[in-house]
Amino acid sequence: MNSILRPVVGGVVLVLLVTGSALAHHSFAMFDHTRTLTLKGAVTKFQWTNPHAYIELDVTDAKGAVTHYSIECTSINMMQRAGWRSNMIKSGDKVKAIVAPLINGEPAGLLLELTLPDGKVLEPGVPGANTYKRTPEQE
Amino acid sequence: MRAVGFAVVTAFALSLLPLHAAAQTRGASTIPDITGSWERYGARGGAGAQRDATMPPPAPQPPLKPEYLKEWQTKLQAAREADAKGTPLATNATLCLPEGMPAMMGATFPMEILQSRGQVTVIEEAFTQVRRIFLDQPQKAIEDVEPGFYGYSVGRWEGDTLVVDTVGIKESVRYQNVPHSDKVRIKERIHLVAGNILWDEITIEDPLTLEKPWAFTFAYRRNPDYKLLEYICEDNREYADEGGLQKIRIGPR
Repeated sequence: MNSILRPVVGGVVLVLLVTGSALAHHSFAMFDHTRTLTLKGAVTKFQWTNPHAYIELDVTDAKGAVTHYSIECTSINMMQRAGWRSNMIKSGDKVKAIVAPLINGEPAGLLLELTLPDGKVLEPGVPGANTYKRTPEQE
Repeated sequence: MRAVGFAVVTAFALSLLPLHAAAQTRGASTIPDITGSWERYGARGGAGAQRDATMPPPAPQPPLKPEYLKEWQTKLQAAREADAKGTPLATNATLCLPEGMPAMMGATFPMEILQSRGQVTVIEEAFTQVRRIFLDQPQKAIEDVEPGFYGYSVGRWEGDTLVVDTVGIKESVRYQNVPHSDKVRIKERIHLVAGNILWDEITIEDPLTLEKPWAFTFAYRRNPDYKLLEYICEDNREYADEGGLQKIRIGPR
């Protein structure tokens, strides 16, 4: 993790300890807790809004076919407290996103971890993020 | 992780400050200075090794009358089953509605208290919820208050405790989905239990739905450096479908 960011994220852990459970009224049950997708693609939009921010991502497969994913983040208030800023991601940026996919199979997911073009890793602070079973990345 | 260690030590040290350090004297009584930012503290009821006297006990189940208890438990079970199937039920949160009273005092996000002449104002960052507590004024009759999300609150300082009475909560505004009638009354005793730890002892009375008053406590830790952020529910992609299930719109508008 970037050394400049580390104290910021460290400070946020405390905030999440006291506020995370209070978000339980918002259900994340539509997302699969048993597997993750690792999506590498180009950002088409970073939507900085409440109640959630969204990353719109075009993912191109080996045959050149493009699938568009909508990736739900948390509240921009939580994200700001975790060190995120609205200008960190721009259209065209190549990013890697680890997401819990929608159970119904639609091309969307809940963001658990994002790697920016410069290698910086950010988490949006999903309550109970460590309870989502991670699927190893397929190369 | 050095920053976390420092924060913990600082928070602990601040919590040991004597009460009078944060108090102002007005006339014969001592009104504490509770103006500023607060964050929820001890939300897990102080379970386990970290338990100390400034952490409130866990909230008991609501003492609902049998018919309301059954309704509440049935809905709770339905919500659990829907979650297990990956098709959660829509809630007020799905619809981007503010929590209202008393849920907003649960401080999902940090909360700000402002003490001004004749009024204490509470602002909850999530959904920019605002409630006003009018000091030293008579409470209105319930039928004279239009039902709303925050109700009508009056309060008075009894020594170092702010005693608040609230009526006029809309029946659709529920804490933990517990049903209540238009006769519901929320009583609060807000006071410091340490220099930087505040308690809101809440008692809910409802002659129609509750066997006896339902009492629980929210605790907060002062966060003097925090400045509340704005919160506007600007683009809610989640919605309730015809069957009352929570759905999500894919893609931007």
